[in-house]
Amino acid sequence: MTGRVSLAAVPFLSARPLTYGIEHGLAEDHFDLVYDSPEGCAGRVSRGEAQLALLPSVRYRHLALDRGLDLRVVPHLAAVVHDALPPEVDGEYDLGALVGGVLGGVDAWRERTGLPFVSLLWVGRNGAVGLEVANQLAHSLRQGLAHLRDIATAFAQVHGGDPAHHERLLAHCLGYGLGSEELSGLDAFFDHLHLAEAPSSRSPVPARIRLFDFAFALGSEKPEPVPAAGTKGAMPGVDALLSDAAAGKRLSPAECIRLYESAPLLDLGRAADERRRFLHPRNRVTYIIDRNVNYTNLCLTACKFCNFFRPAKSKEAYTLSREVLAQKFSETVAMGGIQILLQGGVNPQLRLDYYEDLFRWTKANFPLALHALSPEEVSFIAKQEGLPIREVLERLIAAGLDSLPGGGAEILDDEIRHRISPLKCNTETWIEVMREAHGLGLRTTATLVFGFGETAGHITRHLERLRALQDQTAGFTAFICWPFQAEGTRLRLGDDTTAQRYLRVFSLARLYLDNFPNLQVSWPTMGPAIGQVALRFGGNDFGSAMIEENVVSQAGAVFKLSAEDIERRVRAAGFVPRQRNMRYELLPIRGGAISVRHDGAGRGAAHPILAGA
Amino acid sequence: MAFLEIKDKVRAGEPLGFEDGVALFQHPNLLDLGQLANEVRERMHGQRTYFNRNMHINATNVCVASCRFCSFARLKPGDLGAYTLSLEEAWGRLRARVQAKDPITEIHIVNGLHDGLPFSYYTELLAGLKRICPTVHLKAFTAVEIFFFHQHYGMPVEEVLTRLRAAGLDSLPGGGAEIFAPRVRRKLCADKSDAAEWLDVHRTAHQMGLRSNCTMLYGHIETIEERVEHLLRLRALQDETGGFQTFIPLAFHADGNAMQRLAPPTGVEDLRTFAVSRLLLHNIPHLKAYWVMLGLKTAQTAQWFGADDLDGTVQEERIYHMAGAETPQHLGVPDIVHLIEQAGRVPVERDTLYNVLAEGSDLVSSKPFRRSLPQVAGALS
Repeated sequence: MTGRVSLAAVPFLSARPLTYGIEHGLAEDHFDLVYDSPEGCAGRVSRGEAQLALLPSVRYRHLALDRGLDLRVVPHLAAVVHDALPPEVDGEYDLGALVGGVLGGVDAWRERTGLPFVSLLWVGRNGAVGLEVANQLAHSLRQGLAHLRDIATAFAQVHGGDPAHHERLLAHCLGYGLGSEELSGLDAFFDHLHLAEAPSSRSPVPARIRLFDFAFALGSEKPEPVPAAGTKGAMPGVDALLSDAAAGKRLSPAECIRLYESAPLLDLGRAADERRRFLHPRNRVTYIIDRNVNYTNLCLTACKFCNFFRPAKSKEAYTLSREVLAQKFSETVAMGGIQILLQGGVNPQLRLDYYEDLFRWTKANFPLALHALSPEEVSFIAKQEGLPIREVLERLIAAGLDSLPGGGAEILDDEIRHRISPLKCNTETWIEVMREAHGLGLRTTATLVFGFGETAGHITRHLERLRALQDQTAGFTAFICWPFQAEGTRLRLGDDTTAQRYLRVFSLARLYLDNFPNLQVSWPTMGPAIGQVALRFGGNDFGSAMIEENVVSQAGAVFKLSAEDIERRVRAAGFVPRQRNMRYELLPIRGGAISVRHDGAGRGAAHPILAGA
Repeated sequence: MAFLEIKDKVRAGEPLGFEDGVALFQHPNLLDLGQLANEVRERMHGQRTYFNRNMHINATNVCVASCRFCSFARLKPGDLGAYTLSLEEAWGRLRARVQAKDPITEIHIVNGLHDGLPFSYYTELLAGLKRICPTVHLKAFTAVEIFFFHQHYGMPVEEVLTRLRAAGLDSLPGGGAEIFAPRVRRKLCADKSDAAEWLDVHRTAHQMGLRSNCTMLYGHIETIEERVEHLLRLRALQDETGGFQTFIPLAFHADGNAMQRLAPPTGVEDLRTFAVSRLLLHNIPHLKAYWVMLGLKTAQTAQWFGADDLDGTVQEERIYHMAGAETPQHLGVPDIVHLIEQAGRVPVERDTLYNVLAEGSDLVSSKPFRRSLPQVAGALS
């Protein structure tokens, strides 16, 4: 390390284990440490007086949003509140100011989101410190965790209070770490604060944690070297690429193509599994209970790969009536479903007000989240109404839209799109709808359908578009891919859609999409066996215990699984199943049906974070 | 036993022990197992994946045994769904294939234990098939049937085998082994031959120069220890005789039998069983992923978890389909070749004794893709 490093830290009890080693002689020639208030610490970092400051997470958000600084966070080192703090010491943590008034305290937060609440972060400007400083800080924390009693005693001498009480607090209510769940917790916290602000005064995108660039060198074990087998020896570079990608190094498009074409299946799978373990270290696999409702099958887009749509003149064209929808929605609630995945054809008889009415009616009558309308539908409504996409989304959000499904992406490459779905929105429009949606605070998924004769280059370009947008917006929650289902469609199956190819594309996506938190397996198309196996090829989500599905089942894929069956399969693969909502927040574990409060007031209504706000 | 130590043993070519087997079944990382099994598989067979052109004949489903896992057997003649093919009917199935110029090389014959047929029914069945097609290989009668013939017709096992062989028998299939543990057999199949009897029939057959296969029915009430013990008993007999060609793990299917409450094994468990079998059974050359049972997707994936065989074209499989298998009853050679090629392996058409009949580019794949593959809904499961 060259030169001295100035550190600032808030003087709270929870900060002390992080600073203990530094205060007790660790690299004393290198660090200057001052304690200051949250405002003081924030000021020191933004003025450049401190290279790093140990700050409340909410201050990080202020700095990142208000001052537009390129701030970064040190990975793995953060204070996390696990349990409720007694009121007499709550103030020490700034929690009253942080969360108390809005969220109803840490217990309520845990119950609503299932995610940890991260209170303190080491924050600095991009490039301010390197890996060596982070290692010293990690060492400081390790020493602190070994001296909790000393910390408690020293703290009581200066600030008063019962040392035994302080020690209990340190040992039982607080934790230290910043892994993927903590990062998801911060995302959820920032989303919450974002949505609580008036639309006119809030920033276009919610704040996000950005880690120092050395982040990925820490904490992930390299996979065991794999002995050369078969033809592998003839492909130098693949092993190195895979172990780097498994450790979190970003793959370039050229490297992606190389891996797609040359990496052996199980080597790809292992690297993806390694990466999944780093991102989801608690071995959880999530799933959701929702219902896929296709409100209309009348569609002008007429994609060649679709066996679901009917042209306007067809006798089989339908638009579901309110009575039918009410029936389906009530059944969904009765079966424990928390969401409707609402997608249809592109039906010119339905205008924006149809959707607004439908969403308001849904929200007024059912405790269900609306994961509705793919980019193709949104862009069609915008075109039909002559309105900007943003305005359409704003009106739909006001009517109750919660999130967008990522369907209709197929292959995001206009060469392929023009061949298989010439009338569908092009790549640019699909991306644009997602960008606008993320900007308005909607979370969305992203999909890929392969088997249209696309090359490794097409697949890579698709993944690259998604990754680039995610870098800008961080709005995608999950990625899902599946093979084209050909039965009854006008497109001949002219490509490989076997399990082998699915597992290749899937594990490669886990490695390439390093900024996507979740990868969902596609059991409805691949069958439960391969769906489950894909959990060992990078997947961490089993998708939906679907109460209904009409599109791929029309083209030959007919599998059904109940929540119990999903849980059994998840356990048999060595994971712990948990139910989630669309935002991948864990739902409390409970025996009966899931109930989500709603007040019919629009977008936030069924959102568990806001439900009690 | 740590995985790394087991890996060293495997690489050094040392046989694994009972505890190693248990540790492998419990090892959390499926892909560790897969890679190690794949190493062994590629050492033994390189990139080859074998298949053959075969047909099944199940001549009768009348059966005196009352195995609780079976959806095929009808206990008495005259029971609803019970059938026994006349010799002419059975022969007719082969004639139809010959007339269709379908170059099958093997007939797989497995039946219920019918107590009302003369022994000559079986010898004539075989002899008649050979008359129609002298080159076809007859892989017929599980050890359980052979042992039943011995008891029912009052002949030593060796004599049963000798007379069947004189009529045309070429080898024995591997069925009926289920799980050897007496605890499990008492509960599942108390009234058919036990482990020692099953192994004895194979020992006798091997000593007479007949080859055979072996199986394990997993995923019901057996423990991991019972699975490992089963595999090690097969391995011990193989050390003695060298007569087993192929091991076929069979996943328990529950529809329509007395054990419907049991959930079937999942994909991860199937692949794990393949990998562990490959590692424990170092002396049995082939490991077959029977696609009728596994589904095409899992059978294809198993080619990276130790398996080197997919079985064959399989015309008219009945036993697994009556237990709810959703696979098609038949695959064309181009479909099989395609499936193997897409798994990144080299397809090899073999005969029953693993002589290579055609390899790689000699075989025509179904490219461009034929629409016939998903004939049955869920066929690609």
